[in-house]
Amino acid sequence: MVVLTIDGIDCSYGSVDVLKDVDFEVKSGEFLGILGPNGSGKTTLLKSISRVLQPHKGTILIDEKNIYGMKSVDVAKQLAVVPQSTPVTFDFTSLEVVLMGRNPHLPRFKMESKEDLAIAKNSMKLTRTWEFADRPVTELSGGERQRVIIARALTQEPKILLLDEPTTHLDISNQLEIMDLIKNLCETKNLLIAAVFHDFNLAARYCDSIILLKEGKIVAVGKSEKTLTSENIRKVFSVDTIVKRHPVTGFFHVIPISIPLNQQQKTLSIHLISGCGTGSPVMKLLKDEGYFVTAGVINLLDTDQEAARLLNIPTVSEAPFSPITEEAHAANLNMISKANVLVITPTQFGDGNLRNLEAAETALKEGIPIILLENGPDEKRDFTNGKATKYLTELENNGAVIVKSNCELLQVLDNLEKKNNKNLHQKKET
Amino acid sequence: MKKDAETTHLRRVSHWKLYLLIMLIAFGIVFILSLNLGYAPIPFRDILIILTKQIPILENLVDASNITQTAEVIITQIRLPRVICGALVGAALATAGAAYQGIFRNPMADPYVIGASSGAALGAALVMVLGIGVSLLGVNTLQIMAFVGSLITVLVVYTIARVGSRVPVTTLLLTGIAASLFLSAIVTFLRTIASDQILHGLTFWLIGSLAPTENWDKVWAIFPFIIVGAVIAYMYSRDLNILALGEDQAQHLGVEIEKVKRILLVSGALMTAAAVSISGLIGFVGLIIPHLTRVLIGPDHRVLLPTSAIVGASFLMICDALSRVIMGSGEAPVGVITALSGAPFFIYLLRRKRKGYAV
Repeated sequence: MVVLTIDGIDCSYGSVDVLKDVDFEVKSGEFLGILGPNGSGKTTLLKSISRVLQPHKGTILIDEKNIYGMKSVDVAKQLAVVPQSTPVTFDFTSLEVVLMGRNPHLPRFKMESKEDLAIAKNSMKLTRTWEFADRPVTELSGGERQRVIIARALTQEPKILLLDEPTTHLDISNQLEIMDLIKNLCETKNLLIAAVFHDFNLAARYCDSIILLKEGKIVAVGKSEKTLTSENIRKVFSVDTIVKRHPVTGFFHVIPISIPLNQQQKTLSIHLISGCGTGSPVMKLLKDEGYFVTAGVINLLDTDQEAARLLNIPTVSEAPFSPITEEAHAANLNMISKANVLVITPTQFGDGNLRNLEAAETALKEGIPIILLENGPDEKRDFTNGKATKYLTELENNGAVIVKSNCELLQVLDNLEKKNNKNLHQKKET
Repeated sequence: MKKDAETTHLRRVSHWKLYLLIMLIAFGIVFILSLNLGYAPIPFRDILIILTKQIPILENLVDASNITQTAEVIITQIRLPRVICGALVGAALATAGAAYQGIFRNPMADPYVIGASSGAALGAALVMVLGIGVSLLGVNTLQIMAFVGSLITVLVVYTIARVGSRVPVTTLLLTGIAASLFLSAIVTFLRTIASDQILHGLTFWLIGSLAPTENWDKVWAIFPFIIVGAVIAYMYSRDLNILALGEDQAQHLGVEIEKVKRILLVSGALMTAAAVSISGLIGFVGLIIPHLTRVLIGPDHRVLLPTSAIVGASFLMICDALSRVIMGSGEAPVGVITALSGAPFFIYLLRRKRKGYAV
């Protein structure tokens, strides 16, 4: 059992402060991930823990002992490091490189003993590198070499293993194989693992806990599922993401949506009538453009409903596979009355959601402009024996605008936005 | 049929001693051959008898009645110190070269890379051009100035390259190059104002020659520095291996890199300064011998350093022997021979990248 304590450290390169008041603790058997944007101080943090860059404030303790007060060989007996990549100058064989891991355990003039060789062999078998033990490391592929370096780290027989983006340069199967191995070592050998990641999904898949760094400060720390939220990720990386548990793997997945544009909030409020996933891309498009968007009525479990939830769009929803009830319809009408524009996406219509078109008709009568997004004949998506087509034709005849593409939609909305701005301006003046 | 890596490794390590033994025997043969070559012909039998006579316990076992006084003086007072100096200088340059290539993780590094040669050249040029060459207790000022100039330059380069408590090797290399260019410019200027006779001596010195080493004082003047330097370098040979993985990783493996670098740079500088102080700037030995040895026995510095020393010593003895006989009664500077014989061989080695151990 070993405890690694990072106690309020400040680090800098020359006069540039890189880490500010970083403070956390990890124990044996824990797998800690360190995430953050470029330049947030992840690698610096690993460097200071591995005794390469001394913090100018605060201490780093292994089992209550300050590592900067220990001899470097004594630290090396406890702590091993696997960097992103290792260029090797001379043609040492893999086995020779792995045997270098015994250095902290060997007195100056002692050659490696049979026991040292056995330890090296064991680590190489674990990492599946024994088969090329006799080949020069300079001739190995990136994945093979990285496994050799991990074997070398294991040959140190450390209690703590630090990894700096250990799989960045590797292909997907090598990535998973190496991460599986490390996870396994963490569990079976009770190793303390702290790893820097760039890949959220890899981190979410393997880490017990995660630290999010931004500009040298810890923004969030804790269990992976508590830390890796889209809110935290937006705070740290300024990227909108969807974080959800994948139905097949059971792991958390982080899906980036977009970098939030510094779009000015527009004045127009748009209500969407959609369904069957036809509304999702439109929702994101309008949100990115800075419009205020509402939607309804959508059945729960519909893709559009999920998208609206993730994009924080106010929605009137209905129970799955159920026809629109009177209450939902009323709520929808209420929401539409607050909107400046109504957009209808090319969704299918059945008896269940026909009332959405009834609502559209009401809106048109109240003078709310309607835009119909079309991608084919209405009949093809009409499952109401012509009732829906009738509604749609009526809307068209009474002034609904038909657009054929998202681009056209944005143009129409832009004109409406300008008109709306002018109106608001005039109102203010009078 | 694939052999077990464990066995292969163990066999390779156990072969180290065998290789060392073979090299030592070759060294011995070259040593005797070198004593044989020279203006006055002295047969091998006589050389062996004279050598045996020098060893107190064995002196009565040989019949030295046929040996002339002249032959004995030529061997013991002229050729023996020169051959030993050649061996010491060759060993020093090769060991320092191997250590520097390890520290700098750069196959282009040699003992002169951080200014040891240009500092020595300036010291020597100053003594010759200003005409202040005098002998003090068997050691002359030329030798002292070359030695001191070499060490001071390395020290200055090291100090300039230091950033806080660290000395990045790239900065060290670049500072070394800058310092060398600067000092060489001064030496070039001194050459333009030197008289023809002095210029001839200075040119000889800059190319490198073992001709001035034909007395025992020279041997004793450099012997302690070279032995101490080589032993210190050998003590840190495992650290040199680990440095091949980069400085950060060496640090992670418990190597105190800044301390190790400092110690190895100083030991290399001592060996180099001692070597150039008596022989001038013999080139190429410090660059190619470590490479050649690495091709023969692999990159492990624990065997590379001692083997380089023996190979370097033998190589320089051969080159010096050639320099003594190649021009009949005159003498070619040994620095010319090392480059002439070494360069083509080196290119051959580079072209023929042997499987397993590349240059």
